[in-house]
Amino acid sequence: MSADQPAGTAKDKGNDWISQLWNFLASLKLVVIILLILSALSIVGTLIEQNKPLQEYYRVYHPGTVALFLKLGIFDMYHSWWFIACLSLLALNIIACTMDRYRGIMAGMRKNNIILDEKLSKSLQNITAIRYVLRLDIVEKKMVELAGKNFSGKPVVTATEDGERHYFFEKGKYSRLAFFMTHLSILIVFLGAIGGSFFGYKGYVNIFEGETISQLETKAGNIQKLDFQIKCNTFHAEFYPNGAPMDYRSDLSIVQNGKEVIRKTIRVNDPLTFEGVTFYQSSYGGLPDQVAIDVVNRDGSLKGTMTTPFDRRVDIPGVTDKVEVADYQEHFHLPDGVEGGRAIGVNIYPAKGAPVELWLLVDHPEYDRHRGGDYYFRVKDLKMKKYTGLQVNNDPGKILVWLGSMLLIAGIMIAFFLSHKKIWISLRTDKKGKSELKIGGTANKNRDAFAREMEQIILNLKEIS
Amino acid sequence: MTNSLLFGIATFIYFFAMVLYISYLAFRSEMLGKVASLSLLGGVIVETTAIGMRWYESYQMGIGRAPMTNLYESLVFFAWTIALIYLILERKFNIRTVGAFVAPFPFLIMAYASLNPNDIQPLVPALKSNWLIFHVMSCFVGYAAFAVSFGVSILYFFKIGSEKRSTKPIESFWDSFPSSTALDEIGYKTIAIGFPLLTIGIVTGAFWANVAWGTYWSWDPKETWSLIVWLIYAAYLHARITRGWRGKRAAILSIIGFAATLFCYLGVNLILSGLHSYGGIS
Repeated sequence: MSADQPAGTAKDKGNDWISQLWNFLASLKLVVIILLILSALSIVGTLIEQNKPLQEYYRVYHPGTVALFLKLGIFDMYHSWWFIACLSLLALNIIACTMDRYRGIMAGMRKNNIILDEKLSKSLQNITAIRYVLRLDIVEKKMVELAGKNFSGKPVVTATEDGERHYFFEKGKYSRLAFFMTHLSILIVFLGAIGGSFFGYKGYVNIFEGETISQLETKAGNIQKLDFQIKCNTFHAEFYPNGAPMDYRSDLSIVQNGKEVIRKTIRVNDPLTFEGVTFYQSSYGGLPDQVAIDVVNRDGSLKGTMTTPFDRRVDIPGVTDKVEVADYQEHFHLPDGVEGGRAIGVNIYPAKGAPVELWLLVDHPEYDRHRGGDYYFRVKDLKMKKYTGLQVNNDPGKILVWLGSMLLIAGIMIAFFLSHKKIWISLRTDKKGKSELKIGGTANKNRDAFAREMEQIILNLKEIS
Repeated sequence: MTNSLLFGIATFIYFFAMVLYISYLAFRSEMLGKVASLSLLGGVIVETTAIGMRWYESYQMGIGRAPMTNLYESLVFFAWTIALIYLILERKFNIRTVGAFVAPFPFLIMAYASLNPNDIQPLVPALKSNWLIFHVMSCFVGYAAFAVSFGVSILYFFKIGSEKRSTKPIESFWDSFPSSTALDEIGYKTIAIGFPLLTIGIVTGAFWANVAWGTYWSWDPKETWSLIVWLIYAAYLHARITRGWRGKRAAILSIIGFAATLFCYLGVNLILSGLHSYGGIS
């Protein structure tokens, strides 16, 4: 991003379609237009919520609109063909612009104008001449010392036939490369994102305390096998007195070939990575492990107590029916909308007839009494088993994304705050035997600041005595 | 709480600074101008103490966190940054008359902040991260730079209008303002400060999201809007540097850019839903 780079390498305005296409792709107008189109499209994606279940869209929009939006891919627009096409056009645009300006930038870094001759003097706006009574070699020595303070690199010195000596100082030459840094960095980020989506996966898995998994379901709906096993030793959730969450943590072990390789407690903001796969603390929950249920007669006397694991049919003591604990809710809502607290979903399988589904409230033991029938259930004891919910991510492209990001930041900093400064100084002895120094300079950016810098240098040079 | 008291005092000082800057514009007394600048500086100093105090008090409460985690805290930080950036620019470019256009922002933002709950709440797990300070600071200093550029761009339009009218040597109210060329340049320079900071803000945000949620970019509304703001200013910079867009067209883009910034900051939290919901009104 510098102001004075030779405006492109002035492509010959060919008439054939290839050069027309090239000129279109490398045009700066296109950059601005794509940037504005991309921002306009992105707005659409924030106004229409993305990737929601279909029924939610039907609730908000007219069915015809939903069908149209589905066809256009608006509900997942950041992955739609037209959004990707815009990004691809941006990438092509960046490539074309980079190639177009490559030669100009490289030429700007070359030392091709190192003598302050008439031609150069004309193109520089302010040439200052200073005359000294001192001998030329003394002026020369002091000048090199002074200029060396600002321009630390060694100057290029040329002696011309007429006895003049020409000095060329420069600084910040490589700041011209910032253009490549800022623009190629975007391409690198794109490459990283593409790489990640092709060669990586995102998934999610629940692991109960004490259990081990070796595969998980990815977002794309595939089963991803891991080369190792991951075990959740414990999970803890802590809360502040006001009920807000304070800490979620899972104690995880990575097991490979039957041996524990790594053990780590992960938290939100502190994941575990093993062999390129990262596990993030994402959610948690619990399911009944063992439920002890009293079976109570109508008259209130106890028929018996049964202990049942989750998801398995067991006999009900004293009757021929079977029962299964099939569901669990942390915050059950009664039919009238009142919060009923923890609830266990139970299916009764009578010896004859259809199964009956019912809910037992853990904190309201007599709730089932109102159901009617010969007996009712009362939850006597509930042992929960907790699970931790892990976001799983394998993204080989990530490293490119970070590389690109760093390059982008560094490039922007350099582009805004550094410039390529050049100073030419020529020395000669004039006809009257006085030493004459001529100085001129230029910078490719921040010219106001450079002008002030030059003023100071000239002031210092004038004081040579 | 001492911090609330100090924030209150800072709000009052910002109010006086605003009045003084406007009076300076009306009466053009150098003395008034100096007092205006000094009182704005005083407001910044008191608010700096207030922010530091709030940080300290959070440790005393056993919570211990940076004061940048909810709407109230972000607003007061935003006001602080705008005042600070303006003061730096005022010193650098000698543009005290612009103060009448910028000084109302810190006061109004502080006044709006005071309508929001300001108790120090402990952090939810997702916010417990060292990235918090880097991410929030770079974003907000960037936002504030865009805010100042916006003020300068608005002023640009008044100034260019008066410059066109002033073919006759009649003294105009706008004469004391910097020339339209200077305003244009200052508007650009502030964006040149804001853009790298916004870039850093987005990258640190992506890095943090990756650590916390396992994905560096999820097209969450806040992320998307920060990208929109970035794209608009990127367009501004390209148009200006390579196509020579200056003056009116640049000022229009700067105004659009700040409108998007405001939506990114407030609109997303108040209207849209997403992962940054803790920044919203509870």
